[in-house]
Amino acid sequence: MLKATLRSFLAHKGRLLLSALAVVLSVAFVAGSLIFSDTVTRTFDRLFASTSADVTVQPKEDLNASVPTGAVQTVPAALVDRVARVEGVASAHADVGVENITVVDIKNKSVGPTTGAPTIAADWYVTDRSSVELTSGAAPRGAGEAVLDADTADKKGVEIGDTLTVMAQPGSFKVRIVGIATFKTTNPGAALVFLDPEVAAGQLLGSADKATGVSVEAARGVTDAELKRRVAAALGSGPYDVKTADEQAKSAAEQLGGFLDIIKYVMLGFAGIAVLVGVFLIVNTFSMLIAQRTRELGLLRALGADRRQVRRSVLTEAVLLGLVGSTLGLAAGIGLAAGLIRLMSAFGMNLKTTEMAVGWVTPVTAYVVGVGVTFVAAYLPARRAAAVSPMAALADADIAGVGRPLKVRAVVGAVVGALGVAALVGCVTASATASAASLLGLGVVLTLIATVIAGPLLVRPVIRVLGAAFPALFGSIGRMSQRNALRNPRRTGATAAALMVGLALVGGMSVASASMSKSFDQQIDKTLGADFVIQNTNFTPFSQEVTDRVHATGGVGTVVRQRFAPVAVRLPDGRRIETTAAGYDDQVDEVAHVTYAQGDTAAALAGGALGMDVDFAKDHGVRVGSVLPVEFPGDRTLSLKVGALTDQDAAEGFGMQGGLFLGIATVEKYVPGGQDSVLYVNTDPGVNADGLRPRLEKALDPYPQVQVRDQADYKDLVHDQIAVLLYLVYALLGLAIVIAVLGVVNTLALSVVERTREIGLLRAIGLARRQLRRMIRLESVVIAVFGAVLGLALGLVWGVCTQQVLALQGMKALAIPWGTIVAVVVGSAVVGVVAALLPALRASRMNVLAAIAHE
Amino acid sequence: MSPSAAQPAPDLAPADGVAARARGLTKAYGSGETTVLALDSVDVGIVRGRFTAVMGPSGSGKSTLMHCLAGLDTVSAGQVWLGDTEITGLKERELTRLRRDRIGFMFQSFNLIPTLNALENITLPMDIAGQKPDQKWLDQVIDTLGLRNRLKHRPSQLSGGQQQRVACARALASRPELIFADEPTGNLDSRAGLEVLAFLREAVDSLGQTVVMVTHDPGAAAHSDLVLFLADGRIVDEMGQPTAEAVLERMRLFTGGSPQVSDADAVRGQAGPATEED
Repeated sequence: MLKATLRSFLAHKGRLLLSALAVVLSVAFVAGSLIFSDTVTRTFDRLFASTSADVTVQPKEDLNASVPTGAVQTVPAALVDRVARVEGVASAHADVGVENITVVDIKNKSVGPTTGAPTIAADWYVTDRSSVELTSGAAPRGAGEAVLDADTADKKGVEIGDTLTVMAQPGSFKVRIVGIATFKTTNPGAALVFLDPEVAAGQLLGSADKATGVSVEAARGVTDAELKRRVAAALGSGPYDVKTADEQAKSAAEQLGGFLDIIKYVMLGFAGIAVLVGVFLIVNTFSMLIAQRTRELGLLRALGADRRQVRRSVLTEAVLLGLVGSTLGLAAGIGLAAGLIRLMSAFGMNLKTTEMAVGWVTPVTAYVVGVGVTFVAAYLPARRAAAVSPMAALADADIAGVGRPLKVRAVVGAVVGALGVAALVGCVTASATASAASLLGLGVVLTLIATVIAGPLLVRPVIRVLGAAFPALFGSIGRMSQRNALRNPRRTGATAAALMVGLALVGGMSVASASMSKSFDQQIDKTLGADFVIQNTNFTPFSQEVTDRVHATGGVGTVVRQRFAPVAVRLPDGRRIETTAAGYDDQVDEVAHVTYAQGDTAAALAGGALGMDVDFAKDHGVRVGSVLPVEFPGDRTLSLKVGALTDQDAAEGFGMQGGLFLGIATVEKYVPGGQDSVLYVNTDPGVNADGLRPRLEKALDPYPQVQVRDQADYKDLVHDQIAVLLYLVYALLGLAIVIAVLGVVNTLALSVVERTREIGLLRAIGLARRQLRRMIRLESVVIAVFGAVLGLALGLVWGVCTQQVLALQGMKALAIPWGTIVAVVVGSAVVGVVAALLPALRASRMNVLAAIAHE
Repeated sequence: MSPSAAQPAPDLAPADGVAARARGLTKAYGSGETTVLALDSVDVGIVRGRFTAVMGPSGSGKSTLMHCLAGLDTVSAGQVWLGDTEITGLKERELTRLRRDRIGFMFQSFNLIPTLNALENITLPMDIAGQKPDQKWLDQVIDTLGLRNRLKHRPSQLSGGQQQRVACARALASRPELIFADEPTGNLDSRAGLEVLAFLREAVDSLGQTVVMVTHDPGAAAHSDLVLFLADGRIVDEMGQPTAEAVLERMRLFTGGSPQVSDADAVRGQAGPATEED
């Protein structure tokens, strides 16, 4: 039996090729993402492990450190002396290292990385553990000298002797590059500027008495853990975090991990889509193979093979396919990881492909995914094969599966579909975001499953309509291609399902994102009153000089500053919520249209007061007049009185739960050393806004990172951010389409083989090759468009429901991107044409006589 | 073994009464030592307006002869004309068009496209050509074959005999110069077979069509005007006004006993499945 299985596997290898490709793609993405993240993790673990001091002392990290305050948490420089006196300390150094800077060259062009990696300014303190070494020039001495890292120098064309401007929080200063330092280990992509330790603290932190941390080296024979215990004991209960080298390396790697996790999840998303769509392809291939071999299977049964043997034979074939696919996929995954590593290098993160890490988890996962997917996908077809009667060998029996009634599908599809629709209706009518979102998720999954199950039932009605014009347009050829697509609804349904899944996602996402864009537009129109919005390209805070220059620009009227502060708020219902609060200048009403449920701007921004969203307040028992304890970074807590409640459509932005806002004076006081994140600028009455813009841009010329945006620019910015999400979905779709095309090719190729005699007859009675090709192409187009129509219909429903959930978050506008939808339908027809190329060619090349005689 | 063909092929211009003819028609398979001649320099003419049967044991080359005359197969040597057109040397596209417009086909089985109903099958060659069928002629053909109330049926809803009648109607519908029928009764019971033969006879007698039928059934051959006997790739004899008994007797002569047992089985084994009926 095994021999027969092997023979049959080899005999059908051509047909299995496409399925194998689907397995290869899914496994490649799984393996590639694992290898990539392993490599990155290992590289950075090594980097941080080798560069971390035995023990480090840092300011205590109590509230969300990623809130862009522009302030740097510091420790007193005098701490070094206290630490140095601890027994077992060989040396202690006051570190200065900040990321809240911008560095520009003499032409006012930023020399920082364009990839979102930080620009870091630090003191030049070289030990064995340093990640860099001086490779040319000299160490910086005194104010006005600096060392730059070699990668940045190369990329931005900076040489020794060039002058750069460093914009730090205390103020900008010019430095002359006197040396170039090269990374000894992997460069994570940041730009590094090193200053003389004597002046670094003053220039970067505003005071020589501050440091950002203390690095401690242990004396011989003292372990890191022991040293940490002693240092911690010596520092008592001060607001410090004391970490060993291992702990420090781990937390540093975790910080970087957030960014790398995104890449990993995107890759796994691709793998997921590939697996999902691949399953359809594999199910279809095996169903078709079994249909083709009905007589052969019947013969096996007649000769005495029992059902289990037949089933096992099919499943063995599936496992073989899975093994081959996984092996190739693993190899492709290594290639994919190498490609990603190269790509990262292009972005400045210098990983080495030679240091690729392939842990044992990777091949195990690859084989589990590859073999598992094929096994699961082949299970139903295998059961069907086992059900072939021995009579099939003798009689010219029906092809397995074609004639079976679709009753079970109808019932299961209807039940699952009804549940899905119920969930979607529930999500539309729900009033709480959390429950609406989970109902939406449930509804999406259920309706997808229902459509896949019921797909074959929809083949007849939908394709009758879609292909209705074919006979009129293409005569008999059109009629035959339409009816060929209807011949085996199960097969057509499964083939189209692969395309459907991808297009449903796109449909849903494009409706959701178009609605989001439209809602944001409406909100911007409604709430933004400022003529210009000034902020950094990456939304980080900018230096005080920018604000000063804007104020000094002629024609500028009201300027409202916005700053952020991480806070934790204790609410009357006993909950402590960590969120971000925004601080504003008093004239907010001049640059924004805020709707208040109670109170007004003056009451909210007054000293000792704050404002918040009315819904949030209701949920937590807060009223105007409630006094709430609010924690600021560095263990500073004060009580603020709720002065006003806003009733905005979207008060709670990302990470801004509660929509907390307060006077900027409070933020300045409790987050010292902070910087402005946004400036809302109005034109002085009587001055033309169009005329002000060039003046503002000119004034901000030395600050290339700062952008001046009017309302239209601001809308574009929001659209661009939403579009990024959409591009990702389009990329996923691209992959889904590639696999779906394989599926259509597969189905058509098999149909052509099955209809060999029919094709021979058609050719004998005078059907030209061109006409034959057209017939197959039209069939392919009908299948593809069927998948697209089903997918888009589903996607539209999802999209509208998603918008209803978003409406709870204030995104109330619904927009359906008809252009995209039409383009997708047209595109799917093109997909059909492409998929038909090979099968049509093959059919038209068939020898007429051989085809007529074909059994 | 000089063949006495039905009409000795004239040297150049085709005779007025000849629908198709071949001269020196040779079809060889394989090469060198293993060459097998399916047709060995056959000269033949098919008279217009008559019902010609081609008889011969399995492997005698009768199907190959039909395929070559119909432009379905290429020839190794010799020339073939359909009416005035020499079809040897025509390009694939021209041959396809020739088959579509000037020849009708009936095969032993699988004559109809399962997705099309009877009427759509009948008019298929004209639909492919983008021509309107001649409605009067079409009605006449449909009524002659008694298919009037079956036109909307799909092939799967028709009996074997009805399916062959539809195939026959399709072959007639475009009023071709020549109809080739390859064992049209091979898959039918005797009653349905007789019916189909009667229709082919009728097509010749009342509708003035030209029919060439390949068969190995002497009873079927007896319905024709003229029987050509093939053996080992040559036309070895012919018989006008045949009867089943006479044909059977003649067949015995060639095969030395049973008409069904062929001394050319060796040929069949090597000639490849494409050229021979099963």
